[in-house]
Amino acid sequence: MKVTGSAVLHASREQVWQALTDPAVLVRTIPGCLRLEATAPDAYAMTVTAGVGTIKGVYAGDVRLHDQHAPGSFVLSASGAGAPGTVSCDVAVTLSEDGDAATQVAYSADAVVGGMIGGVGQRMLAGVAKKTAGEFFAAVDDVLAGREAVPAAASTTAASTTGRDAGVVYTAPPPALPRGALLTGEFTRGVLVGAAIALAGAVVGGWAAGRQRR
Amino acid sequence: MTTRTVGEPIARREDPRLLTGQGRFLDDIGSAGLAAAFVRSPHAHARIVDIDVTDALAVDGLVAIYTHDDLPGRVGETLPVLIPHEALTHGRTACPLAKNEVNHVGEAIVMVVATDRYLAEDACERIRVDYELLPPVVGIEAARDGDLLVHDDVPGNVSAHLVQETGDARAAIDTAPRVLDLDLEIERSASTPLEGRGVHARWDGDDHSLRVYTSTQASTSVRAALAAKLELPLDRVEVIAPDVGGGFGVKIVHPWPEEVLVAWAAIMLGQEVKWTEDRREHFVSAAHERGQLQHVRVGYDDDGHLLGLDVTIWHDNGAYTPYGIIVPIITTTQLLGPYKPGAYRAEFHSLYTNTVAVTPYRGAGRPQGCFAMERTMDAIAADLGLDRAVVRERNFIGPDEMPYDHGLTFQDGRPLIYDSGDYPATLAKVKKLIGWDAFEAIRDEARAAGRRVGIGLGCYVEGTGVGPYEGGFVKVETDGTVVVATGLTTQGQGHQTVFAQVVADELGVALDDVVVTTGDTRRFGYAVGTFASRAAVMSGNAVALAARKVRQKALRIAGEALEADPRDLEIVDGVVQVKGVPGATIPLRTVAVLSNPLRYAFDAESQRATQFAAPADPDRPPVADDDEPGLEGTDYYSPPRSTFANGMHAAIVETDPETAEISILRYCVVHDCGTLINPRIVQGQIHGGVAQGVGGALYEKLVYDDAGQLLNASFMDFLMPYASEIPVIETDHLQTPSPLNPLGIKGAGEAGVIPVSAVLASAIEDAESSQGIRISRMPISPSELYHLRAEATNEEGDS
Repeated sequence: MKVTGSAVLHASREQVWQALTDPAVLVRTIPGCLRLEATAPDAYAMTVTAGVGTIKGVYAGDVRLHDQHAPGSFVLSASGAGAPGTVSCDVAVTLSEDGDAATQVAYSADAVVGGMIGGVGQRMLAGVAKKTAGEFFAAVDDVLAGREAVPAAASTTAASTTGRDAGVVYTAPPPALPRGALLTGEFTRGVLVGAAIALAGAVVGGWAAGRQRR
Repeated sequence: MTTRTVGEPIARREDPRLLTGQGRFLDDIGSAGLAAAFVRSPHAHARIVDIDVTDALAVDGLVAIYTHDDLPGRVGETLPVLIPHEALTHGRTACPLAKNEVNHVGEAIVMVVATDRYLAEDACERIRVDYELLPPVVGIEAARDGDLLVHDDVPGNVSAHLVQETGDARAAIDTAPRVLDLDLEIERSASTPLEGRGVHARWDGDDHSLRVYTSTQASTSVRAALAAKLELPLDRVEVIAPDVGGGFGVKIVHPWPEEVLVAWAAIMLGQEVKWTEDRREHFVSAAHERGQLQHVRVGYDDDGHLLGLDVTIWHDNGAYTPYGIIVPIITTTQLLGPYKPGAYRAEFHSLYTNTVAVTPYRGAGRPQGCFAMERTMDAIAADLGLDRAVVRERNFIGPDEMPYDHGLTFQDGRPLIYDSGDYPATLAKVKKLIGWDAFEAIRDEARAAGRRVGIGLGCYVEGTGVGPYEGGFVKVETDGTVVVATGLTTQGQGHQTVFAQVVADELGVALDDVVVTTGDTRRFGYAVGTFASRAAVMSGNAVALAARKVRQKALRIAGEALEADPRDLEIVDGVVQVKGVPGATIPLRTVAVLSNPLRYAFDAESQRATQFAAPADPDRPPVADDDEPGLEGTDYYSPPRSTFANGMHAAIVETDPETAEISILRYCVVHDCGTLINPRIVQGQIHGGVAQGVGGALYEKLVYDDAGQLLNASFMDFLMPYASEIPVIETDHLQTPSPLNPLGIKGAGEAGVIPVSAVLASAIEDAESSQGIRISRMPISPSELYHLRAEATNEEGDS
């Protein structure tokens, strides 16, 4: 499944870059993200709860950031598995200036969605994933605009944007519903969250649950 | 005379039971037992690196977890290639649980047994399988390229390559006045019975015996396969097909991994174990069919007579070949339809892909072959500016040419010889039924009103009733009930009605006195199965022959009792009587009593058979040397080769000039399956077949992405036609009896589905004749038709 899209965030490229590569920001803006653990520089283990419709469950996997050209582009590879199925994807993200205080984020995701979620409901994933991407970028934009504060995640030491050490754990603040609260109904939320996962978080700046592809 | 029932449109006797919820399907059996569930591969092609079951062990209610390593001996070995063939040089089948590698999404890797299905699935969710991903081969082109392999030891992904030829087709084409080339494509579809697969097994440790219920089309062969896999004596295994909610071909495959595993687990655990397939499992782990690429090269003269036909088929057989290469063999032989092809050459390549296995689905390769042939006929007619029916008729095998030997080998390994049929008469009937000759005016009139309507035609011949044999058992009980049993199974065809009709007529009893049991190896052990439109031909004739034996015996015993020559006796409404002598009668139930001399009596009837009841010849043994007790008989029908039914369909369609929506305005079927046992049931078979054909022509396809993920593995996404999409089906019959069997019947089970894609392609093309489009690929959706129009317009603009 290929999904492309873009969003405009109201901050400079450097600020957006920092936000999109900051686990402390991501852990609270990715729908359903429960836990991020840095396992190596630019590599994380992640736990996400996700589902499409009634196909729900917890995904565990790995995410890796590579081909970084700050503040212009990076590629994110993620793969993971959970009861609802498997996801693996590569997401190319480019940041370009859009006027003085705005940045356009373009993403292009190529995802393979397997297992139950792959065969049931995949037809609607691409569309819903794009919508979820919009939700995610709006959440990041809120953080950038200071409308939503980013507390130091529960068990982290101050998370810097570079040189994150292995073993640092980021957890979402309870209840982990920063965006979901805006939505009505469990079903809607399930669909959106699931789509995000299916997209391997391309949508969400690239943090899907994932296990490293060998 | 007893009223004859054969030929009468008797209502199906099984329906009151089935329609009031009294059916007993697999999942209705053994609700107290353990339940199995499976961890299946989410990847199309991968090596299994590790299976970690640790987290699953904590699930309350878990009974057992099995991986390939846990399966002993033959249980874990690869499943059989059911139909070996010398051309199948690289047949491959799966192990019941994947050993090192998975080759399609849905392949079973771990079996979990728990106290109920919920808990079994909970445990499955907690099992972690580590995979090393391998590049998947998806689609016929990718398989044909051979750059990537499904099985490392199968070069070019070719499981089988077969060429059959009569005459020198290529030379005939090269010297023909006119030559055409067609590239054609048919997409994947699947049987999708409403009831999926399912198995229930019970081990009796005291008796050392296994009873398996399975939703199958071949219970006797499941029994033999399980006995072999589990290394049990055959007589310690019994297999029963309960009510089966549709098969359509997919349930002829056996033994499924789940059949072996559930039976084995029941023995291991000493408890009943059941697995009922869910819909998603069915889509990804049962079987599909249809997917083919075809190239047709045809040479013909200026009148449209075929001189040479050269067909190449690339057949997608999925990841494994459990059912051999029956489907492409049928495509390349049945493609010929009612025609004389001139010199004929047929070549197929059966190719592996990382998708679920391909095995027969109703029609079994015939819809693809019919599509190729009928598209060719339409193309020749268009090229020559001839009426499509005329081109077909000019190439028909004449009724005076029967039996007609094509010089090829059919799917039963026997020569492809058509036994009977009157194709010109069939064509005349269908042309009359649809109003073929008057249609041009209708088309023109519609066009003048801004509408697009078109007419299409398709002809087929179907080899039915393949051997090797079927058997029947008939017994008259002492209460007058006539018990009939076949090893052959039932999936909704109405066997409890038609076999009863045959036996009632042969024996001279009332239909209501006949009770039919099918597919229960306890009742009849020798059988092949229900597929290839063979049940009525094979078991219908077998029960007729068995009933004739019983009748003979009844007349002999009654003759002794009535002191009459058996030749002077007849049986009417269950009573044997001397023709023309009122009062000289004896009921069949009494004959049944007399047939079994008794020492002990337990009711009024049995008293009559005891040793002091009646005077007997003191010098003769109560049961003669060449006799057996009981008024019963068993017999078998084994044909020299298949019998060939035929039919022709015609349809009128309308296409929307703007939206390209396709509507079927009329659908007509003329069908010749020889003697009709029950016209109502044949009509039902035709209707159901046409409905599936419409699905295959306009709606159904199984969509795999490049990674080998089946994207529409649910009824939400896999489009099947509703009643609203199925037109009124107008039918007419010809009855050209088969000379090959006592009842003169030919099969009817698959007929309806075979030509539908060909007919609708022809009709849509005709409706769009002003657009000049050519349909080479089915199914066709409105958006595909829309694109064809756009392409045709662009080409016109380019030229």
